[in-house]
Amino acid sequence: MRLQNAALGAAGLAVFLALGEAVPRLGLVKEEYFPPTSRIVRALADELSDGAFWTALGDTLTGWALGLAIAASAGIVVGVLVAVVPYLREATASTIEFLRPIPSVALIPLAVLLYGSELRSVLLLVVYASFWQVLIQTLYGVQDVDPVADETARSYGLGTWARIRHVLWPTALPYVFTGVRLAAAVALILAITGELVIGAPGLGARIAVAQNSQAVPEMYALIVVTGLLGLLINVGARTVERRALAWHQSVRGEVAV
Amino acid sequence: MRRLLVTLAAGALLVTASACGSSGDSGASGSGPSSGGTTTVKLGLIPIVDVAPIYLGQKKGFYDKHGLKLEISTASGGAAIVPGVASGQFQFGFSNVTSLLLAQTNGVPIKAVSNGIASTGVAGKDFAGIAVKKDSAITSAKDLEGKKVAINTLKNINESAVRESVRKDGGDPDKVKFVELAFDQMPAALDGGQVDAACAVEPALATIKGQGGRVIASPMVDVAANTTVAMYFTSTRYQQQNADVVKRFQEATAESLAYADAHPDEARRIITTYTKIPASVLAQVTLPKWPAEPNKESIEALAKLGEEDGFFKKTPDVDALLP
Repeated sequence: MRLQNAALGAAGLAVFLALGEAVPRLGLVKEEYFPPTSRIVRALADELSDGAFWTALGDTLTGWALGLAIAASAGIVVGVLVAVVPYLREATASTIEFLRPIPSVALIPLAVLLYGSELRSVLLLVVYASFWQVLIQTLYGVQDVDPVADETARSYGLGTWARIRHVLWPTALPYVFTGVRLAAAVALILAITGELVIGAPGLGARIAVAQNSQAVPEMYALIVVTGLLGLLINVGARTVERRALAWHQSVRGEVAV
Repeated sequence: MRRLLVTLAAGALLVTASACGSSGDSGASGSGPSSGGTTTVKLGLIPIVDVAPIYLGQKKGFYDKHGLKLEISTASGGAAIVPGVASGQFQFGFSNVTSLLLAQTNGVPIKAVSNGIASTGVAGKDFAGIAVKKDSAITSAKDLEGKKVAINTLKNINESAVRESVRKDGGDPDKVKFVELAFDQMPAALDGGQVDAACAVEPALATIKGQGGRVIASPMVDVAANTTVAMYFTSTRYQQQNADVVKRFQEATAESLAYADAHPDEARRIITTYTKIPASVLAQVTLPKWPAEPNKESIEALAKLGEEDGFFKKTPDVDALLP
């Protein structure tokens, strides 16, 4: 079954790439604006042999990783805090609902004013966007704590910290991981968008330069790289999630009694 | 919520601090000379043909000679540069004249310090042009009445210039339908018939010409004989506090501009180091002129045009803007 799936996936990709080669060659779209797959691959090979490309990739990954780390830790800490401290949840709900829908890209002018076209501008966008993903999931996770389990822990005399550690955290963890996985994808999108629009160093800025330079195949090659990066990040996040939650029923696949 | 914000702010601050440390960023705003008599200044640029003299001057050591170390930050568009300079993120920036006038009339305290680029002054052979598809019926600027014309930014320098081209050709610029479109998308839009004409600059103009497109007017030439299109600028505060650094930047930039103007082949070669313009396109690109001094009459003309067309809230003060 697994082998068949992989074969089907490979076949699908091959058809897609062949279409990408054929459509511009047949003149259905202009070759100048939509280069055939082979030209994109050649441009990609040129990129890979260029040191500046790897620096840009490093810059993008730095922005992504740092931003995600800050957003995830802040989201988890704030989420648990809001859940544990009485009334804090009600007091913050409206503010969170107000701030959360603000698109991170709308903060670009603010980022430029504060930090110019640097890594910090990108971080501001990345952290803002991915923080909410983690926070909201953490809040959901905490809400899911079994009140009976919590009461039991209380009556056994467990303190706040022990209850967070042994009751709240194991319940919330699957939610937190979902939040972090979503945040990882969002962080990459925002890192690249920030670089593209603001011009902070990274793959996004390189795409903008290729675009301004009328270097169409190079532009597509870089876009392919960002796509692959997104794919890798998602696969990586899923693997980590499966490993870390191996004990959890959602991963074990057992039916809860 | 306050707690949340504080946590967020603290987190952001932490990162900022660590990011600073790891990237070796001095963190200083570049005011005041550092050790060895060299001042590091941050310069906000758009990575386009226009700024070649800066890269060339840096390579030739003109800035070193004046005790300046340039730290170039590239921005994708001019929009990030003016606020960046006004807020002190960059000490110097590069922007077109109308944007600078716009910023000034909006009360942004900026001051031009050096010339940037100028039009070649030769109609039909400028780095900017109004182009149409090869089989288009449009032959002159007047024909643009009622037509869709692509422009990179509405209510900015290129709209001023295109309107002037139409006006000079005896047409009514109010009848032109302007559409905002990035330069790099113009060749495809023109080719695909989404727009009837496009006010493009290099290298998009070279691409359009390569597809057989025709240039029907040179808007920057219609504004004035030798139009100053863009300039390097700083904030008035930086100018007052670091008059010496500004003077050194002016001298080094003037040398760089003169050198680039006199050595177009070297300028063309340096462009390949910071853009990805394909060699075949670059060979066809019309370079701008890089005179060391801005042309005041042309800037006054742009100010007047912008005012006539209602871009500015109040009359710009050209004398206060210029060095």
